[in-house]
Amino acid sequence: MRTLVRRTNPLVLISVGLFSLLGSFWIRSLPVALIAVAAYAVAAVILLPGWRFPLVCLAFTSIAALTVVYSTWRLGGHDVELAVTAGLRIVVLAWPGSVAAGYIDPSRLADYLAQSLRLPPRLIVAFAAALQRLTAFGIAWQQLDRVRRVRGFGAGRNPLANGGYAANMSFALLVQAMRGATSTSIAMDARGFATAHERTWALPAPWTRLDVLALVAAALLGAVPVIARLV
Amino acid sequence: MSPRGEVRFRDFTWRPIGRRNAVIAGLDLTIEPGERVLLVGPSGAGKSTLLHGLVGALGATIAGDLTGSAEVDGRSGLLLQNPADAIVAERTGRDVAFGPENAGLPRDEIWARVDAALDAVGLTYGRDHFTAALSGGEQQRLALAGVLAMRPDVLLLDEPTSMLDPATAATVREAILASAGGRTLLVVEHRIEAWLPHVDRVVVLSADGQVVGDGTVSAFLAGPRPDGVWMPGAPTPPLLAVPDTLVRPADEALTVTATDVSVELVMRTMRGTQRTQALTELTARLAPGRVTGFTGPSGAGKSTALAVLGGLLAPTTGTVAPDLRRWRSPALAAAVGWVPQNPEHGLLTSTVVDEVRHTATRTGRTVDAGAVLDVFGLGHLASSNPYRLSGGEQRRLALAAALAHRPGVVLLDEPTVGQDPGTWAAVAGWIAASRDAGAAVGLSTHDADVGLDIEHGMSRGVMT
Repeated sequence: MRTLVRRTNPLVLISVGLFSLLGSFWIRSLPVALIAVAAYAVAAVILLPGWRFPLVCLAFTSIAALTVVYSTWRLGGHDVELAVTAGLRIVVLAWPGSVAAGYIDPSRLADYLAQSLRLPPRLIVAFAAALQRLTAFGIAWQQLDRVRRVRGFGAGRNPLANGGYAANMSFALLVQAMRGATSTSIAMDARGFATAHERTWALPAPWTRLDVLALVAAALLGAVPVIARLV
Repeated sequence: MSPRGEVRFRDFTWRPIGRRNAVIAGLDLTIEPGERVLLVGPSGAGKSTLLHGLVGALGATIAGDLTGSAEVDGRSGLLLQNPADAIVAERTGRDVAFGPENAGLPRDEIWARVDAALDAVGLTYGRDHFTAALSGGEQQRLALAGVLAMRPDVLLLDEPTSMLDPATAATVREAILASAGGRTLLVVEHRIEAWLPHVDRVVVLSADGQVVGDGTVSAFLAGPRPDGVWMPGAPTPPLLAVPDTLVRPADEALTVTATDVSVELVMRTMRGTQRTQALTELTARLAPGRVTGFTGPSGAGKSTALAVLGGLLAPTTGTVAPDLRRWRSPALAAAVGWVPQNPEHGLLTSTVVDEVRHTATRTGRTVDAGAVLDVFGLGHLASSNPYRLSGGEQRRLALAAALAHRPGVVLLDEPTVGQDPGTWAAVAGWIAASRDAGAAVGLSTHDADVGLDIEHGMSRGVMT
């Protein structure tokens, strides 16, 4: 059950985010908001292989949600219920999509975008290669960090003083990203990408029964606020 | 119609942005279809530039002034010097499939070629291995598999075996020659001896990018000895005498001991986890006045061993004494110098000379940056941007940057890759001089010419 998400096709994973976004527009009251968030939380517990990644995504979403709570409270006549509802709406809007996106394999996404949705292949392939580079960033970050540490410019123990270090590392990673993008683009063209007009795909983009069921489940989850309002 | 696979340079001139002089000026060269050509010359001569020109990257993806023309009849496949940049997919099989997909091949043909290419380069992990979990030498073989699977009319290979041990290099070379068949082959390599029996022609570039030799292998061997080329049968170049003052450790060198160290590297993504047992119960010691070498095929755990000893990576089990992991960054820098495998990761500043002074300034030591750069033949590039250097030049700069402040523990990850005999003598000379001055030197290498006092042969993470 908990590994289904890794076997689900990437378009279904994207649909999770789209349905949650659409559903969030129906969140106008606190009970509906709580029911919607609870539905996604239960789904995450049942369906996801780990709990750390969804919690990290939730933490990031919560930052956005809290700023919305605060500004709604400030500007909306200090109405706590209204403010919390607005914040939870942001959680429903962003959290499921950000979690689902983490399970997408860039190459498989390209397969489906090109073969199921018939989007332009060159664009899709370039997009997938760019996504793939995100993995490379993790490795580059580790190496850049090691070099700085052994050359005397590593992160210190004072978290306040580490702002400069983080800025320096981010810039170094940006340089790496741009250098890498140049080389990757040369490497892609040198493997026939520049002249690929009639491209084929190494793997098919099938829709299994699991995918259809998952799509229905994603739609139902998205519809939770709609149903909750009707009931 | 002429057979496909001809390569032509006409009055080819290239000046990268930010350089005053052209790297290559007015080059004319024609390679006939099916010809096998070895392109040799000193580090920084512009060998990689010629290959980039043939795939249309100059002036388009790489900024600069291009005049003249570089053309290939038919499909070309290029292997880049830095294989990590060639990776386009998360899994090995899909990465190799990229070229065949672009060629519009049917699915079963694609996978037949993928399996054949992975097999040819000796990558036995299967199609579903994470590309990010491969070692440097394994990535080089993956990138080569990606080129071979295309079955291009022209194979352009930039140092295809530079990061491989002799046995793996021989396997990979055979794979290249077997799949080259009647195709045009243009290989850039520094260690040319093993290639010579298999090529028709040798083109020699000079340091300023001129063709100074072009002919058959026998004419090349009989002709004058060109600068900056590893001639077969020639003795190992004499080590450059590096002044003791440049390398004598500022503080007395530490002895670092690893006992029963095992490291499991974990590559984690949302879609799965790849665990690689990089080291298993390694026991080794870096002692002052000794060069300790870790050798073995790619993926043996050589780089991991250095990183653990240098306090850059935590062992999963076992102990390292002293525990450099706990040292603060400036203290670690004062005691340890580490040269990473990918030189670009080692660059922190925007000019070559600043790079050499950077850590010395931090650790309160004085360094004669001019003298250090002269040792490595980089004196004329002192004010250049480090990213504008050639692959071999960058490696030397990364070495100078990591070690100019005279740490007692000196760790080098594949330091001699991409060096010509002259620059090799500087790198190997620096290593020997450091040892003689009392530094504890540790290096990972597959270069049999580097003098080791203690050799730890490794295979799949285990000392053999």
